[in-house]
Amino acid sequence: MCRFLLLVVLTGSISTESYAGNNKKRYWEEKHERKIQHYQQGWSRLIPQYEKIHYAGSMGLISLGIGWDYGKKSQWETDFFLGYLPRFEGQKGHVTVTLKENYIPWSIGIKEERWKFDPFTVSLYMNKIFGDEFWTREPDKYPDGYYGVATNFRFNLAFGQRVHFKMRPVGLSEWLTFYYEFGTNDLYLISYITNRYLHFSDIFNFSLGIKFQFL
Amino acid sequence: MRGILFTGLVIILLAGCYPFEYHPYDVRLDKKYRNINAGNIEKLRIKDRHRDTVRFIFMGDSQRWYDETEAFVKAANARNDIDFVVHGGDISDFGMKKEFCWIHDIMDKLNVPYVAVIGNHDHLGSGGEIYQSMYGDFNFSFVYSGIKFVGLNTNALDFDYGTPVPDFEFIQREIADTAGNNYCQTVVFMHAEPGDVVFNNNVKVVFHEYLKRFRNLRFCVHAHEHRVMENEFFGDGIWYYGADAMKNRNYLLFTVTQQDYTYEVVYF
Repeated sequence: MCRFLLLVVLTGSISTESYAGNNKKRYWEEKHERKIQHYQQGWSRLIPQYEKIHYAGSMGLISLGIGWDYGKKSQWETDFFLGYLPRFEGQKGHVTVTLKENYIPWSIGIKEERWKFDPFTVSLYMNKIFGDEFWTREPDKYPDGYYGVATNFRFNLAFGQRVHFKMRPVGLSEWLTFYYEFGTNDLYLISYITNRYLHFSDIFNFSLGIKFQFL
Repeated sequence: MRGILFTGLVIILLAGCYPFEYHPYDVRLDKKYRNINAGNIEKLRIKDRHRDTVRFIFMGDSQRWYDETEAFVKAANARNDIDFVVHGGDISDFGMKKEFCWIHDIMDKLNVPYVAVIGNHDHLGSGGEIYQSMYGDFNFSFVYSGIKFVGLNTNALDFDYGTPVPDFEFIQREIADTAGNNYCQTVVFMHAEPGDVVFNNNVKVVFHEYLKRFRNLRFCVHAHEHRVMENEFFGDGIWYYGADAMKNRNYLLFTVTQQDYTYEVVYF
């Protein structure tokens, strides 16, 4: 009897022991899975939510961009563009890169969200052009601070409007957006401020873009 | 809605011939902004009455002084005794295309033709290429009423050895050019003067010796220093006159005759 009890207890303890072992294994596996999921989710935030094609805008003839929107109403956007400026009459073509921040304070939905209208957008962007003749600081051959201006970096300010169309059926992108902007840069603004001769129309340029919203 | 969008687009496109800008330094120019020096030299050739006295204005750096340059054009147009105007370089401040175009839009309102030499600021970014597309070669010359006028690029610091600055081959060619024998004196224009940091000072003496080989070299005029200057740099009777920048609202007025020349600083 005592032996039997001992056996029961022993087998019981063995079986509970193996049960606890399985549990522990699954616990670690689940934890690992959660970690991987968390890790992937973290990086997936870096997957661009949209792509853009931008024409003109002082960052090349045509620029292709990716970007991310954020904020409660997705009112903020950060774009990264790669642009190309063909040679025209110059010696060669140039590549440019642009980091662009957009703020879209209002969006008006019309016709059951089939299309939306953003009456006002404001953007700040920094463009860099690559090429030997463009530099941030003048080459050493010049006396220090001779020109005091970076010719390869321009800071731009632009205002615009957008219309969004919901794609039905949902194609590659859920929303298709058309936008235009009026923009100027730091050096044009300096010239404008110091001269009555220049008008807004002299320093502002027009540009066009399309946005494909994927996520 | 589509109608509104379309009308808006049409208005914007009609607002300016170049509403789109690809880059501040792109070299994409409208026809009216091309070959300005050659076109104006041709105008000078046509209007040349081969008089004994030639009177011209040499103006200094316009850079970012559009209001002052506009005032200058008004002042120059108020007088009827000048044959042409020479811009001494630093047309632009940062070498951007729009700056060149803004200045040309102002200068184009002059009643007389104008030519421009290249300044060191005009070579920033792709400004050198923009200057070439707009004004033509860095070095040029023309003959007006028996005087040869030579415009030279002297901004050596902005160029590497790929582009000779000053271009002695060009100077030699101009010295050798006696075709037609239609001039008996020479005046030289440049932006940076010998001795300035932008000039190739290793050859400044050689440069001057070469200039003296021009037929009856009378004097040289430069800009760049943003002040009126008067120097006999090499002590041999050849004077270098420096024109002030537009911000100080004055220009140099030269009167050249067969025997003599005079100049004055005119404020506006």
